[in-house]
Amino acid sequence: MLSWSSEISQVPVDVRAITDPKIDPLIPGGVALLRFADAVLAQSDDIRGTAELVAAELGWSGLVDAAAVIANFQMMNRVADGTGMPTGRGSRVRNAALIEMLGLDRFDHTDES
Amino acid sequence: MSGPIPASPRRSGYLGVVITTGGVPVLSGQEGGQPSIRRDVTDNLARTFANLAAPGASWTGEERLAIATEARRARSGGPAADGVPAEAVEAARTLADRPAAARRTWVERLVAGGLGYPRYVELVGIVSRVVAADTFVAALGRAVEPLPPAVPGEPTGDIADGARPGKGWVPMVGGTSITQALSLIPAENAELERFHGPMYLTFEEMSQPTIARGLTRPQMEVLAARTSAFNECFY
Repeated sequence: MLSWSSEISQVPVDVRAITDPKIDPLIPGGVALLRFADAVLAQSDDIRGTAELVAAELGWSGLVDAAAVIANFQMMNRVADGTGMPTGRGSRVRNAALIEMLGLDRFDHTDES
Repeated sequence: MSGPIPASPRRSGYLGVVITTGGVPVLSGQEGGQPSIRRDVTDNLARTFANLAAPGASWTGEERLAIATEARRARSGGPAADGVPAEAVEAARTLADRPAAARRTWVERLVAGGLGYPRYVELVGIVSRVVAADTFVAALGRAVEPLPPAVPGEPTGDIADGARPGKGWVPMVGGTSITQALSLIPAENAELERFHGPMYLTFEEMSQPTIARGLTRPQMEVLAARTSAFNECFY
């Protein structure tokens, strides 16, 4: 979804930032968004500080939507992992380079029995 | 809005977000002159918390709240809940705190140990939504709110007749798909979709790569991907 939306929107993004906090994703507000996500997901004391950065760069509505998107994927990740949702072969083929670059195969446990 | 967010002098939450109204959590971004949170989001949160306390297909409202409490306890501590079997406690705690630890054999053990597929699938819905709702509230600077009182009543027994085993670990209706993941329990699958729309995008909107709200689609997807990486979720 990230590569697809970036390509069609013609917004360059460095997808390595997804798994490497040292890399700037290049999209507007991207560094602030990822720092906010990390703080929220880790339930750290830095939520307020990182939220202020997001609001400063992307406004209140950007901050609210950031919180909402993170929350939604907290739900979807648990639904996918709890129900053993497999990734389709087509998706694997299309995203093979990305999967290898980011080492995402280490997260795949759905085929284990 | 630009610049630092002013701290509310009256509340510990820095965004002045009010949660509880009459025992049912309701968000309002209006306090202290802050801009409003979208109404569809506040409605979603209010409905979600109320739904957690109501009887489900295979658990009572009290049992659903016990599951939600165990999910919260796994992430943030607090007193243990009573009234649900050990398998439910284990499932709730694992899915809340370490969802990537789930395995097919683990699910099969819990199901065979007395949960059964309907109660397990309903539990997945409960845990995933309470974690999501709590995440949103915490992200906006507030402490977790108490869950509302349980709504009395027996489980509805509404379990999909047409659900069948597939490539996933639980029976689904119409084939294995993330949008059908909880379809064994139609009410849970419907709640998943209702939550998904206001917080991210509706299933229909997901096909629109240039859609934007407070964030552009690439900004949304960066957050979605980072969240999934944090949770070690391959899907």
